[in-house]
Amino acid sequence: MALQDLPIQFGQISTVQSCGAVSYQDSILPSLSLPTSLPLASSQSVPLPFPMSHGTTTLAFMFQGGVLAAADTRSSCSGLVACPAAQKILPVHSHLVGTTSGTSADCALWKRILARELRLYQLRHGRRLSTSGAAKLLSHMLHPFKGTELCVAATLCGFSGPSLYYVCSDGTRLQGTLFSVGSGSPYAYSILDQGVQWGLTVDEATSIAREAVYRATHRDAYSGNCVDIYHISSKGWTRRSREDLKEEYYREKERQERDGM
Amino acid sequence: MALEDICGFKDTPVHRKWFPASHFEDTDRSFHMTDFGLRRLKKSGRNSGIPLQFFIPTLPNSVPFNPRPSLPFSPSNHSVTVSRPFPLSHGTTTLGFIFQGGVIAAADSRASAGGLVACPAVHKITPIHSHLVVTSSGSGADCMLWERILAREIRLYQLRHRRCLSICGTAKLLSFMLHPFKGTDVCVALTLCGWDKEVGPKLIYVCSDGARLNGDIFSVGSGSPYAYGVLDRELRWSLSKEEAISLAREAVFRATHRDAYSGNKVDIFHITAQGWISNCCSLEILFLLPGCLFRHEHRGRCGILQP
Repeated sequence: MALQDLPIQFGQISTVQSCGAVSYQDSILPSLSLPTSLPLASSQSVPLPFPMSHGTTTLAFMFQGGVLAAADTRSSCSGLVACPAAQKILPVHSHLVGTTSGTSADCALWKRILARELRLYQLRHGRRLSTSGAAKLLSHMLHPFKGTELCVAATLCGFSGPSLYYVCSDGTRLQGTLFSVGSGSPYAYSILDQGVQWGLTVDEATSIAREAVYRATHRDAYSGNCVDIYHISSKGWTRRSREDLKEEYYREKERQERDGM
Repeated sequence: MALEDICGFKDTPVHRKWFPASHFEDTDRSFHMTDFGLRRLKKSGRNSGIPLQFFIPTLPNSVPFNPRPSLPFSPSNHSVTVSRPFPLSHGTTTLGFIFQGGVIAAADSRASAGGLVACPAVHKITPIHSHLVVTSSGSGADCMLWERILAREIRLYQLRHRRCLSICGTAKLLSFMLHPFKGTDVCVALTLCGWDKEVGPKLIYVCSDGARLNGDIFSVGSGSPYAYGVLDRELRWSLSKEEAISLAREAVFRATHRDAYSGNKVDIFHITAQGWISNCCSLEILFLLPGCLFRHEHRGRCGILQP
């Protein structure tokens, strides 16, 4: 199928048709031209309904068994815990999962848009887009919103080729083997740096990820409640049942009492 | 002496009493003895009339210091504002914790000014007396000055009252001395780590904002979240001395690995009932330890090449 017959549009804001023979790259720019009614350069700005805050702890790392992604479940608005059971790891398709950080509304929307675009690509070209392609796609879709209040910091965890990418709404797109995003990320980084190695088994990797999120939720006020762990392998993603970190806290207290603390 | 000049020791009646000859020296500094609300010099009955007073630096442009000023110190009193020679930045990693063998204090050794490593070999842990060390964070110049002032006041107390001031008392003293500077640019966050004869190990965090907190584990600075993760995981009361020192070293190492403003060396002090012992080491040797991230990245790259 020639690309000329399928004008590739990303209809997220505008539905400007790109007609004629245009290449893949060229079709992105015209179709993302934004109508002037968008509140980007408007004189009056919409007041925020509540103070936004980007508190979370999400992490993802690669190891011999695939990719492991973990996140807490607290959704906060400054001092209020808006939802103690939010979902910060959203599956995009059967072999791609994205962790979300930043504004949860923006992240949920862009994940859905990404899922739709990847499905359209699969239908048109008969093959699945690789993780790096998905990361590039998301990055290019977010680019027109650079400088606005959009705040999306996602790590895409897949299983084709180099499979861990960090994509951010200010334009960053990084490939790596270990990422942690959010206000609780420093606390998680030190645990992960200590324990993550290539040769971990799935169980060991799960327990390191859980420990890292637990430590972050212990010290960071904006992270907490439960932990979600997703494991992405060649067979697709599997999700562990959500674990309440309260149990972990009591188990540790018991252990400390046994040690005579 | 420089410290004398800053704190205006020469203007006070005590100085005149002890060094009458220098009374004729010319000084235009305002009279700035603080007696914490007491209008008259309160003399201690025990120590042959030595007045109880503390000599602390004055706030610039302020008239005879009132312990209860009607207006807090406002920058509009400055007729001349000094421009900063370089951007100040408070990057550091310091930590302290208590365990069964005493108190451990650890810190990195990098002094940064914006993006520049101003000095890679700074001592951020200073002993005050044989059983008390102070880890400093915040502005390096402010910390150095206040450590010297604190050391002098503790020594004076010891000479006047013939006993060492407790760690709690030292923290309270430091907090009250810093209080007039609340709201100014003074940025000092000290952790007093020491051993009291009566109470045992003690760890108190004092900050120029006014916080004074007692606790078992503190980490201060831009690298502190990274250190907290490691410390929370491994810290137990029952650690042996070697385990505690290596835990402190590991925590500072992890923080220097991720934080740009911490690095170079790690200084470790161990305080027991017999006093403090210091133990410094360079962080480069830790790159050779197994399980370090560098080894992981090497393996990781090989792993990606598989189809």
